[in-house]
Amino acid sequence: MSLLLIVLLPFIGALFPALMIRVGRNASAAAAFFATSLAFVLLMSHAPALFRGEVLQAGWEWLPGLGLNVNFLLDGLGFFFAALILGIGLLIIVYARYYLSKDDPVGVFYTYLLLFQGAMVGIVVSDNVLLLLIFWELTSLSSFLLIGYWKHLPEGRQGARMALAVTGAGGLAMIAGMLLIGDIAGSYDLSVILQRAESIQASPQYLPALVLILIGCFTKSAQFPFHFWLPHAMAAPTPVSAYLHSATMVKAGLFLMARMWPVLSGTEAWFYIVATTGLVTMTIGAFIALFKDDLKGLLAYSTVSHLGLVTMLFGFGTPMAATAAVFHVLNHATFKAALFMSAGIVDHEAGTRDVRRLGGLMHLMPVTATLAMVAGASMAGLPLLNGFLSKEMMLHEAASTAWLGQGWVLGTAATIAACFSVAYSFRFIAHVFMGPIRKDYPHHPHDPPLGMWIPPAVLVVLVVLIGLFPDTLAGPLVAMVARAVTGGQVLDYHLAQWHGFTPALGMSVVAIVVGTLLIRSYPRVRALWTAGPHPEAKRIFDGLITGAVDIAQRLTHGVHNGSMQRYLAVMLSAMLLLGYFVFASSPNAPGTRALMPASAVAVVGWVLLMGACLALVLMHQQRLLALVVVGVIGLIVSIGFVYLSAPDLALTQISVEVVTVILMLLALNFLPKRSPRESSTVRRLRDAGLAIAAGLGVGGAAWAVMTRDAETLSGYYLEQSVAGGGGSNVVNVILVDFRGFDTFGEIIVLGIAALTIFALLDGLMVSAAGRRLQSWRPDQARAADRHPMMLAVATRAMLPLALMVGIYIFLRGHNVPGGGFIAGLVVAVALIVQYMASGFGWAAHRMKVDYHALIGAGVLVAAATGLGALVAGFPFLTSTVWHLDLPLLGELHIASAMFFDTGVFLVVVGATMLALANLSRLGRHAEHLLVNREPMDVDPSRPSFAAGEH
Amino acid sequence: MNALLEVLVSALIVIGGVFLLVGSWGMLRLPELMSRLHAPTKATTLGVGSVLLGSIIWFARVDGVPSIHELLITLFLFLSAPITAHFLAKAYMHVHVDAETRLPRPGEHGWSTYDAAPGKGDEQVGEG
Repeated sequence: MSLLLIVLLPFIGALFPALMIRVGRNASAAAAFFATSLAFVLLMSHAPALFRGEVLQAGWEWLPGLGLNVNFLLDGLGFFFAALILGIGLLIIVYARYYLSKDDPVGVFYTYLLLFQGAMVGIVVSDNVLLLLIFWELTSLSSFLLIGYWKHLPEGRQGARMALAVTGAGGLAMIAGMLLIGDIAGSYDLSVILQRAESIQASPQYLPALVLILIGCFTKSAQFPFHFWLPHAMAAPTPVSAYLHSATMVKAGLFLMARMWPVLSGTEAWFYIVATTGLVTMTIGAFIALFKDDLKGLLAYSTVSHLGLVTMLFGFGTPMAATAAVFHVLNHATFKAALFMSAGIVDHEAGTRDVRRLGGLMHLMPVTATLAMVAGASMAGLPLLNGFLSKEMMLHEAASTAWLGQGWVLGTAATIAACFSVAYSFRFIAHVFMGPIRKDYPHHPHDPPLGMWIPPAVLVVLVVLIGLFPDTLAGPLVAMVARAVTGGQVLDYHLAQWHGFTPALGMSVVAIVVGTLLIRSYPRVRALWTAGPHPEAKRIFDGLITGAVDIAQRLTHGVHNGSMQRYLAVMLSAMLLLGYFVFASSPNAPGTRALMPASAVAVVGWVLLMGACLALVLMHQQRLLALVVVGVIGLIVSIGFVYLSAPDLALTQISVEVVTVILMLLALNFLPKRSPRESSTVRRLRDAGLAIAAGLGVGGAAWAVMTRDAETLSGYYLEQSVAGGGGSNVVNVILVDFRGFDTFGEIIVLGIAALTIFALLDGLMVSAAGRRLQSWRPDQARAADRHPMMLAVATRAMLPLALMVGIYIFLRGHNVPGGGFIAGLVVAVALIVQYMASGFGWAAHRMKVDYHALIGAGVLVAAATGLGALVAGFPFLTSTVWHLDLPLLGELHIASAMFFDTGVFLVVVGATMLALANLSRLGRHAEHLLVNREPMDVDPSRPSFAAGEH
Repeated sequence: MNALLEVLVSALIVIGGVFLLVGSWGMLRLPELMSRLHAPTKATTLGVGSVLLGSIIWFARVDGVPSIHELLITLFLFLSAPITAHFLAKAYMHVHVDAETRLPRPGEHGWSTYDAAPGKGDEQVGEG
C-alpha cells in the first residue's frame, strides 16, 4: 500500500496547488512541497530495508486478461531514481516559487510539475512493463505541458511540440518492443522478465525488440540522432529545464536501460548499438556545447553529452561500467541541476543568458558565482569534486574496452569528449563570472533572495561532500543500486579520489590541459567552427514534419474528396469484391427448399415496388417528385411487412416514412428544386453497373438463405419471449430485453445524430453559408395565410387523440405490436403536425420541454433501468416482471423493460423534434420570418376580425 | 337473417368498390386539377366509408359486440381528406391561377391565400 501511495501522492497532490493558488503563491508552493515531501519521507522509510538487500513488491489486478496489472517493485535502482526525482523535485518547488514572476500562473505550474513527478515515480517503481509504458507516455504528455508552460512564446510551443513528437514516437517504438519482450518472456512482469535473460537473448525476436526499446530510450534520453529536441526544450522556464534535464525526464531512458540491463545487455548488438551511440552523443554534445552562447543551450548540449556518457557505460555491458554509470547519474543530477538553477539566477538577475553579454559576475553576485563555479568545476571533472570520480571511472572503462578489436578507439574518443567537456565548463565559468565588471548588463545583477540560491546550494554541498568522502557517503547507495542493476553481482571496487598513477588519470590531465588551451584561444577556435557547416536540426525536423503532413493530406484528400458517389463506389466495389471472393471460394449450389406460389397480391406489390424504384431512378433530378416516389416505396414496403405478418415493422416503417418525408421536405425547401446533372455518362454507366451488381448480389444472397432450411435464432426467441422477457410481443422483447444492450447503444447513436444535426445547422447559421442563406429568396410564391384555420382547428382536435394513440401503443407494446420506438414516432408526428399548423415558433412557446434534455433524460432513464438490475445483483439490463393489484384498474402487469422502453421513447421524440426544430429555425432565419402570436392567420372569432381592421 | 346480412354487407362493399373505381377513373379523365380534385375525395369519403360500414355490420355480427375501430378510421379520414384537398387546391392556385384575371374578388378582404388576413395580430414576438 505504501508503494502505491508513493506513486499516487504526487497525482493527488497535483489537485491542490491549482486550488490553493486562490490563497496565494506561497500556499500553492507549500501544497506542492507538502505532497512531494510526504512521498519522499514515505520512500525514505523503506531505505533501511532496501539497504539490507530486500526488495519490496505490491500488486493489484487491473486488466489481468491483457497482462496489465498494477504491480509495483521497489529495489535499489527504483529507490535511487525515486529519491532523485522526489528530492530534486523538492528543491525545484522551492526554487520555482522565487523564479516565476507574479504574472505566471503558478498554480498550474505546480500542478503540471506534480503530474510529471508522479509519472516519473510511476516509471521507476513499476513492476509491470505495460504499467511502465502508461507512465512513460504520461511523462511525455506532462513534459509537453511543462515545456510549453510559457504559452505566449512561440519557441516554447514549438519546443514542446518537438519534444512530444520525438519522445512520443519513441514511446510507440517502445510499446512494440515491450510487447515483443513480454511475448518472449511469457509475462509482462519485470520481475519475471528479469529472470528470463537467456531465453530472451536466444530468441530471434531479441534483435527487433532490442532496437525498438532502444529507440524509446534514445529518444527520451536525447541520444544522437534524436538529441535535437532537448536544446529546443530550453524555451521552458528554468525550473522545468533544471528538473526535466538534470534528474528526471531524460534520465528515464537511462533508467530503462539500467532496468533492462540484466536482460538485454551482454550481446554484441547491445554493445555496438548502445556504446557507439553513447560515444557519438557524448562527443558531439560536448563539441556543440563549446560553441553555444545561450547559457541554457550550453547546459543542454552538455546534458546531451553526459547522457551519452552514461549510455556508453551501460553499453559496455560490464558490471563495473554499469556501476560507474549509476554513479555518474547521481553526480550529474547534482551538479547539473545546480548549474541549471544558477543559469536561471543569472538570467533572472542580469536579464540575459547570452554568454557574450556577461562576464565579471563574480564581483556582483558572489554567492551565485561560487555555487556555479563549484558545480561547473565538477562538470569539467576537476579533482576533489564528484564529477571527477565518475569521469575517472568512465575513462578507465573506456580505455580498457576494445571496439571492433581496436583498444585505442574508445579511449581516444572519450578523451576528446573530455577535452571539450573541460573547455565548455571553463567557458561557463570564465566567460560568465570572471573577467572585469561590464557596464551593459540589461539589469543590475545582484544575488537573489535566499529561497532561490538555497536549492542549488544544497546540491553543491552534496557535490563537494560526495567528492571528498565518496566511499562513506555514496558508497553504500552506489553499491546497492549497482547490485540491483547487475542482478546481484558483488564487485570489488572502492570509490576514491586517488587510485595511483593510472591511464585514466593521465587522460584526465590531458583533458584538463587541452580544455584550458582551447578556452585560452577561444576566439580562434570559434572562428574555425564558424567556418564549418552547421546542420540545423530544427529545419530538418520541420522539413520531415511538413513532408509527413503533406503526404497524409494528399492521401486523405485523394480518398476523401467529399464526393458521395466516390465513397459509395469504393464501398460497393469493396463489398462486391469480398462477396465475389466468398461466393467463388465456397460451394454455391442452389437451395433445396421448395418455392412457394406467388399470390396475386404479392405480384401486384412487387410490380409496384419495381415501378416506383425505376421511376425514382429516372426522375431523381426533380427532387420533390423523387421524394414523393420515395414515400410510395416506403408505403409499399410497409404493406409488404403487413403481408408477411410483421405488424411491428410495418408500424415502425410507416411512422419513420412520415417523419422522414416531412423533415426532407423542410430541408429541400432551401435547395434548388432540380438537381443538376453532375456526372459524366461513363461515370453514370459505372455507377449503374455497380448498383446492378450489388443489387443482384444482395438479392442472390437473400435467395440463397431463403431457399435453404437452417436453424435460426427465431425459435429460441419465440420460446423464451414470455418465459424470459415477460412479454408476448417477441419483436419488442427482443428490442428491450434480449438485445437491450444493442438498443441502448442505438438510442445513444440516435441522440448523437440529433445533436450532430443541431451542431451542423447551428454552425451553418453563423458561417458563410449562413450569410448566403440570409440573402436567399424563395423560388416559389408563399401563401398569405401561413397558418390556415382549417389545419389549425383539425390538428388541435387531433392532438389529444394522437397522443392517446401514442400512449396506447406504448403501453401495449410489450405484448402486442407497438413499443417505445413506434410510440415515440407517433407522438413526434402528432407534435410535428401542431408545429406545421401554427408555425414552429408559436408551438415551441407552448412546449415547455427542452429537446436536448429530453434526449439526455431518455438515455439516463434507459441506463438507470439497466443499472437497477446491477444493483439487484444481476447483469446489466436484466429485466424483471412485477404483478400489482391496484384498487380500480385490477391486476397490473409491469415489466422493468417498460422503463427501458420509456427511455427509448424519450430519445426518439427528442431526436425527431430536435431535428425539426433546427430545420425550422433555419427556415425562419432564411426567410426572415417572425413568430406569430396567433395560432392561425384568419380567425373569425377574433374581435379585430369582425371590426375589419387592417 | 344471415343471408340478408351477407347481401347487405356485399352490397356495401360493391358500392364502395364502385365509388373507388369511379374516383380513380375520374382522376384520369377529368381535364384539370381543380375538377380532378373531386374524384379522389369522393373515393375516400364515400368509397372507403361504405366498405367500413360493411365491416362494422359484419364484425358486429361475428364477434357479437359493436365494432368501433372503423368509426375511428372514418373520423380520421373525414378530418384528413378535406385538408389534403384544401392544400392541393391552394398549391394549385399559387402555381397555375392568375388571381387578377381569373378569380372574382370575394367581399372586401380578398382571398385568404393571396391577401393578408384582416385584423391579424401582426405585432410579432421576434425570431425565437
